[in-house]
Amino acid sequence: MKKIIFTLAVSLVFSASAFASSGNEVEKQEWSFNKLTANWEKDKIKRGYTVATQVCINCHSFKYVSHRNLMEVGFSEVEAMAMAATMDTKINKPLLSALEPTDAKDSFGKIPPDLSVINKAREGGADYVYAILTGYPEEIPIDFEGANYNTAFAGHNIAMPAPLSEDLIEYEDGTPATIEQMAHDVAYFLQWTAEPELLKRKKLGTYVLVYLFIFAILAILVNRRIWARLKK
Amino acid sequence: MKKAIAWFDDRLPIFSYMKKNLVEFKEPKNLNWMWTFGSLAGIALVIQILSGVFLAMHYKPDVNLAFDSIQQIMRNVDGGWIIRNMHAVGASFFFAVVYLHIGRGMYYGSYKAPREVMWWMGIILFFLMMATAFMGYVLPWGQMSYWGAKVITNLFSVIPFVGEDVVVWLWGGFNVGDPTLNRFYALHYLVPFIIVGVVILHIWAVHHKHSNNPTGKTLKKKTDFVPFHPYYTAKDTVGLSVYLIIFCFMLFFMPDYLGHTDNYIPANPIQTPPHIVPEWYFLPFYAILRAIPIKEIGVIAMGISIAILFVLPWLDRSKVVSGRYRPIFKWMFLVFVLNFFVLGWVGSKPPEGIYVLISRISTAVYFSYYLLLPFISKFEKTKPEHETL
Repeated sequence: MKKIIFTLAVSLVFSASAFASSGNEVEKQEWSFNKLTANWEKDKIKRGYTVATQVCINCHSFKYVSHRNLMEVGFSEVEAMAMAATMDTKINKPLLSALEPTDAKDSFGKIPPDLSVINKAREGGADYVYAILTGYPEEIPIDFEGANYNTAFAGHNIAMPAPLSEDLIEYEDGTPATIEQMAHDVAYFLQWTAEPELLKRKKLGTYVLVYLFIFAILAILVNRRIWARLKK
Repeated sequence: MKKAIAWFDDRLPIFSYMKKNLVEFKEPKNLNWMWTFGSLAGIALVIQILSGVFLAMHYKPDVNLAFDSIQQIMRNVDGGWIIRNMHAVGASFFFAVVYLHIGRGMYYGSYKAPREVMWWMGIILFFLMMATAFMGYVLPWGQMSYWGAKVITNLFSVIPFVGEDVVVWLWGGFNVGDPTLNRFYALHYLVPFIIVGVVILHIWAVHHKHSNNPTGKTLKKKTDFVPFHPYYTAKDTVGLSVYLIIFCFMLFFMPDYLGHTDNYIPANPIQTPPHIVPEWYFLPFYAILRAIPIKEIGVIAMGISIAILFVLPWLDRSKVVSGRYRPIFKWMFLVFVLNFFVLGWVGSKPPEGIYVLISRISTAVYFSYYLLLPFISKFEKTKPEHETL
């Protein structure tokens, strides 16, 4: 039985790695939200928000996100209301694009997806979003036929034209708006919109696991003690 | 208090019944850790029902609202993300422990006389679980929900003459749509309670003929048994604590790992995903379905691949119950289990090229276990069984 269990364990590990599916090569980036102790960084959220609301929202909506949600990551109500006001909207209104779906279909051939949960809806998450946004090379292969060439997109033919260009926007905090910087910031922002509970979840999980480890040790000791009665 | 309980118990003996079945009940004293998965499956069922009831208070079974209502739960319901992740991850863990539970029964011969009916109840439970899980996966109304529902309900079209009508009847329309989602929701809420009922029958049968044990021997001596409480309550608590550690790790650190990214894309009836895969716990059977080029036979093979468990007690003709004393059976079983993993893996791959060949070979290996068992079990030389524990 022991031998069988061992073989099973080995095959389980093997099959788990085999299950991980492969797509286009997406380079892994460093994300501060991957750290266990991380909190959502207000300045990064602000920069990502700037890209999202000045660039992305021209075509894409964020229907699960409103300015009020910014109060969960360190913005005061006054700040959130002011940000909403500059966009001519109210603090509780979802961030919706003004582009009509039918017009989008006429111009791009498809309806741009809502971006609220995009980091969960694509294999690779934030890495994938970053790879797409930085994946428009200056020189495209001569034999390419299609709308727009993208190195990370499956099949390379993407409906979205290159959304970012050097100094497309101006950051309030003076950070130079390179394509990489904007891509990183907005992918970070999108991680927050996709999983606002992410960092809370991991922190709570750590406490839960510590508790359960202690519980397991106690359970093991109790179990030993009870079964020891039989040997007497 | 004691008097009040005695008064009540005299009129409805619910307390003495519970005491008899959960406290004093005699279990073989040599049960190993593989025997903890039964109670874990019970706990997993309770977790699913409790988390499910709370999700149902916020979920909306409407094609225009379902996807949004899940996000509403994740974002705006207090603790909603915990409950929802618990339910989604919990489904996977329920299947994991049930697979281990079934595997333990197959290795130690728990299906053999006098436990055939208990075994049947278990298989019925497995079918009910699969139906519930399938319908539950449709409810978030993501791309995989929709297309999974479409593929699986379409399987009923192979029924001769009335197949197409049956599919329309299941859908409640001419495509997977609002009526489908609504009835799946109703049934997803109903079937778990039928599962609870069959679980009671399953446990009743176990208690009637006692649990099997690693030696497979029918135990007669009084000293071979210990009361369920405190011995197995203590042991199962250890099992539970290990289970909860793994479960909570997935729940808090990688809740979406076992799911599919496409299910965060709202269902779109006019855009088929590149390849449609069911949840991991259906993959082995999905692989059998796709291994056979003729759809009708594929569906039948998939059904038989599980239903054959009903006759397993008679396919295995060995007088020896436990796999421990059966040298050839032991290796047959190992190959069967490893092959089950291969089936699961190949089920996750697109049905093309080498994967088709692999899926056919492992489908053949899967069925050969059941076909060879009657012969091997008859001629196999078994090792001497231990007389005492």
